[in-house]
Amino acid sequence: MWRSLNKSELTAAGLLIALGAYVAWEAWEWPYMTKDGPGPGFFPLWIGILLVGLAALLIVLQVADASAGKPVEKTSWAGTRPALVGWGALLVAALLLEPAGFVASYLFLSVVLLRVSFRRSWSSTALVSVVSVACFWGLFVKLLEVRLPVGPWGF
Amino acid sequence: MEVLAGLAQGFAIALEPANLFWCFIGVVLGTIVGLLPGLGPSATVALLLPLATQMNPTSGLIMLAGIYYGAKYGGSTTAILLNVPGESASVVTCLDGFEMARKGRAGPALGIAAIASFVAGTIGVVLLMLVAPPVAEFALRFGPPEYFALMALGLSMVVLLAGKSMIKALLSMLVGLWLATVGIDLFTDGERYTFEQIELVDGVHFVVAAIGLFAIGEVLANLRPADGMQQFRVPKGLRNLLPNGQDLKDCRFAFVNGSLVGFFIGVLPGAGSTIASFVSYGVEKAVSRRKEQFGTGVIEGVAAPEAANNSETGGALVPLLTLGIPGSATTAILLAAFILWGMRPGPLLIQDHPEIFWGLVASMYIGNVMLLIFNLPLVPLFAQILRLPGHILYSGILGISIVGVYSVDQRLFDVWLVTAFGLLGYLMRRLDYPAAPLLLGLVLGDLMENAVRQSLMMSNGDVSILYSRPLAATMLLFTAAILIGPLFRQVNTWRLKAAEQ
Repeated sequence: MWRSLNKSELTAAGLLIALGAYVAWEAWEWPYMTKDGPGPGFFPLWIGILLVGLAALLIVLQVADASAGKPVEKTSWAGTRPALVGWGALLVAALLLEPAGFVASYLFLSVVLLRVSFRRSWSSTALVSVVSVACFWGLFVKLLEVRLPVGPWGF
Repeated sequence: MEVLAGLAQGFAIALEPANLFWCFIGVVLGTIVGLLPGLGPSATVALLLPLATQMNPTSGLIMLAGIYYGAKYGGSTTAILLNVPGESASVVTCLDGFEMARKGRAGPALGIAAIASFVAGTIGVVLLMLVAPPVAEFALRFGPPEYFALMALGLSMVVLLAGKSMIKALLSMLVGLWLATVGIDLFTDGERYTFEQIELVDGVHFVVAAIGLFAIGEVLANLRPADGMQQFRVPKGLRNLLPNGQDLKDCRFAFVNGSLVGFFIGVLPGAGSTIASFVSYGVEKAVSRRKEQFGTGVIEGVAAPEAANNSETGGALVPLLTLGIPGSATTAILLAAFILWGMRPGPLLIQDHPEIFWGLVASMYIGNVMLLIFNLPLVPLFAQILRLPGHILYSGILGISIVGVYSVDQRLFDVWLVTAFGLLGYLMRRLDYPAAPLLLGLVLGDLMENAVRQSLMMSNGDVSILYSRPLAATMLLFTAAILIGPLFRQVNTWRLKAAEQ
């Protein structure tokens, strides 16, 4: 039976139970009712309880389906590698934003996406990255006067 | 008379050069994002929210709404020429639209899609203009218990149709409601769930959540080298795009059917334009004398869904503008825009800010005319956008996401947060958790908590106030029916069919 369960679904439901428990636990610390009416703990406590209850129900239903021999739909993770590469690049770009400035961090993001996720040639990557960063700088910084982080080299 | 006076005021505002310019920008951007598969109006409206909030509310709203209804026009072009819906509401247009293109009638298919969109879009605005003021007047009777019940009803309808699993949709909504509690509690001034981060004291910004969940989540799901697709050529010349007299005669009923079905489905939270287009296609097929030919390239099979998905926009704006209740991700982002401008749409919006309501209504008339003009002679030009490679588009969207989020408050924390929401949006797509209920929960959570707390304050903690007043009780009964209904097999089968569509 364990093999036929969708582990991704179970993990997600488990995380939601943990989140619900945290939400309810924190809410428990705050007044539920005050003399003026519901306190700050009232609404989040119910949210936490419902999160735990519904996520647990999701697990129960899946285990029941699996033990009854019903086919359980598997989660497809195809295409996750390029997505994670893209997300990792975005994360690094976010971390570089203040120390290196917008231009350098966007160039990094664009190069990783084009080379790794879209498998473009170096020449195409360089052309698209430079042109797009110039467009961003021209449109947002010069035209719309948006204040973006500037690196040690002045842009 | 009041309506005509309001409309005259609206046209005076919408015809100001700056507002005409922003309306133009909105409908052009809308057409472009409607054309591009994988980039929806909700992601685009979210991306432009930081820019719109720098503008005056009327101009900003005119532009954002232009994107919303403009996308409905653009979606049909991709559906007809590529058999790929540019956005979900155009799925059903593929059935007959692509078949028409295969038979060499791409021109009339594109032409009738534009004409049906124009007719129904305009009828939708007329109905919005007529229906919204009385609804707003009626809603003036609402107190906190009615508002709580209304929000529960709206959220339950969104949850009902948000995806295959209602439990997952409810969980998504609850996460959104929880996120809405992050920050300062306005009743007690105490901090909640801020993890001792000063940046979270003001709560989780809607813009950050919307851009992360919709724009970045969508980009991450599409990061792969593109497959080649067959694209039909757009016939050159306006004459080749215009449907003939027989085509227009065949579509008479489709225009009316699509306009009415679209508007009334649009008013219902959660139903949305995809369902509207499917229902109107079904109605058209049911009453047609040649129902067996549907799916083989009949022109009314294009006109009915295109009319419905455009008229739906007018309907969807009724609950947003009169009750402050959004029924979809895009209208939730529009509500977020109102909040960022320091106002809350509701029954008093038309009374307190007539320039916004009537300016928007008039701009929608103008925007629909602009869209008809673009979508007939300029459709070959717009079709070229389909050749824009994904690697340019998606890296650009990530760049705009960073700039958009950072420009709101110049805070690096928001960029990290949007990155986290982007990953969450991607994982939710993979695990089949709908993102729209989360965003709606985040947008409405604050208001819902206030309504329930105010209600219980009014009754000194007596919960019966929530269900003892007739209006609130009726709405809560409907809410219960919506949540309990799917436990019955027949209801659930219908729900799954609707959700899949």
